[in-house]
Amino acid sequence: MRDVAIIGAGMTKFGRAPGDLMDILAEASLRAIEHANVVKEDFDAVYVSSMLAGEISHQTAVASSLVDRIALVPAAADRIENGPAAGGSALKNAFMAVASGCYDMVLVTGGEKMTTADTDIVTDLVATMLHPTAEYIHGATLPAMGGMLARLYMECYGLTERHLAMVAVKNHANALKNPYAHIQRACTVEGAMSSAVIADPLRLYYVCPISDGAASLVLCPLEKAKKFTDKPVRIAGLGQATDVQALQEREDPTVLKSVKVAAQKAFKMAGISADDIDVAEVHDAFEILEIAESEDIGFFEKGKGHLAVEKGLTALDGKLPINPSGGLKARGHALGATGVAQVVELVWQLRGECGERQVKNPKWALACNFGGFGNNTVIHVLERGW
Amino acid sequence: MEQKFVGFKCKACGRVMSTKHDRCLSCKATEFEEVELPKVGKLTTYTKLYTLPQGIEMPPLTLGIADFSGIRMLGQVSTDYPKIGMLLKPVWGKLRKLNEKDIYGFKFEPLE
Repeated sequence: MRDVAIIGAGMTKFGRAPGDLMDILAEASLRAIEHANVVKEDFDAVYVSSMLAGEISHQTAVASSLVDRIALVPAAADRIENGPAAGGSALKNAFMAVASGCYDMVLVTGGEKMTTADTDIVTDLVATMLHPTAEYIHGATLPAMGGMLARLYMECYGLTERHLAMVAVKNHANALKNPYAHIQRACTVEGAMSSAVIADPLRLYYVCPISDGAASLVLCPLEKAKKFTDKPVRIAGLGQATDVQALQEREDPTVLKSVKVAAQKAFKMAGISADDIDVAEVHDAFEILEIAESEDIGFFEKGKGHLAVEKGLTALDGKLPINPSGGLKARGHALGATGVAQVVELVWQLRGECGERQVKNPKWALACNFGGFGNNTVIHVLERGW
Repeated sequence: MEQKFVGFKCKACGRVMSTKHDRCLSCKATEFEEVELPKVGKLTTYTKLYTLPQGIEMPPLTLGIADFSGIRMLGQVSTDYPKIGMLLKPVWGKLRKLNEKDIYGFKFEPLE
């Protein structure tokens, strides 16, 4: 297997985008291509992640359309759909294609245009990834699953609503320093705790917004990366794992087994442990998930993730900054874009290009992209490659 | 016709699963029988949902996971005052509309 490098990263501002899905996919792609200094290069393949292109944007085979739009024909093109972990899956496919020697120059672009549809329609479309007969038909939505997990955490581990609010306050503060973030508004613990209830005990401030956005990465073999950049980021580890689909059928519903297994695989491949990670982007579609994932990745002991938040360990200036971008909560969650956007942020962090939200001198980074309600997780470990 | 509240029991290893699998999650065997579950469950966790998907009209919708002697099921809980540990019984009823069609299933009703 060859070492694989990410040599360029770009994204659109998350939020309400004026154009259509293809506009934002093209914009993010061209930014990554420019960032990688490969504007004149031919690409072997393009992987495009989107969860709801057909359902919301009424466009299918979006990868074939993107290569046409940005003049990358005859590059191979595939759309990858894996729920909200589509971005992580697209990057995984690109990584494997380059690592195997099949392709040399690969583009990964994730995007979703969500704000054009009504909230109840988006909520329903996203809910269709739940178990069709054991969850979906009962009216379960993703926020409902998040609410039930949060309440279990309160019962089992002594989590309080204040902890959820503290995660939100941290992520909002980080997003204020991120020009690409959807929500650029400071919030206080008291403000968050008086916002509208969405799925009790989850309030508006503990739930991600519905965003438009796209993000893109350029990959090539590490040995060729030097030709284009003196700051290549190496993909050192990759782990993906699934879990039983219905939350209630898992042995312990508070344990995100797919996260646990994916993290173990990624660390093993990278030859490091959770303690070595300097900065992480984790999938906080609901603030309870940032806490739960941070435990199952191995950053903190099970049931103690909320105490780490309390101590400020996950703040921008803490021991392990989590979600410096603002996370899904405040950077925004544009489904198919999210897994790619997490890695875009980490590439910029490792290269020292994050301005006000720059984490001090990181060497190792981890991205956790969580699909379904935790039944398909993709984790990447990145290393400074210079 | 009375609807039966059932789980799926693996004929090889005896594991009872709450959802349909074509191979047993424990031993990968493929033969199952439907077994009736206990009629009383305990509420393990819940949420009151205020942002509803299409096809369900009146918020809040109380959803919960109930434990029927070790087999957990998710369902609508017919109360605005759920409490962890409360006892529930499964009752057949209309859950929601999907594509203009009424969908039926088991809901959980508090035992007095």
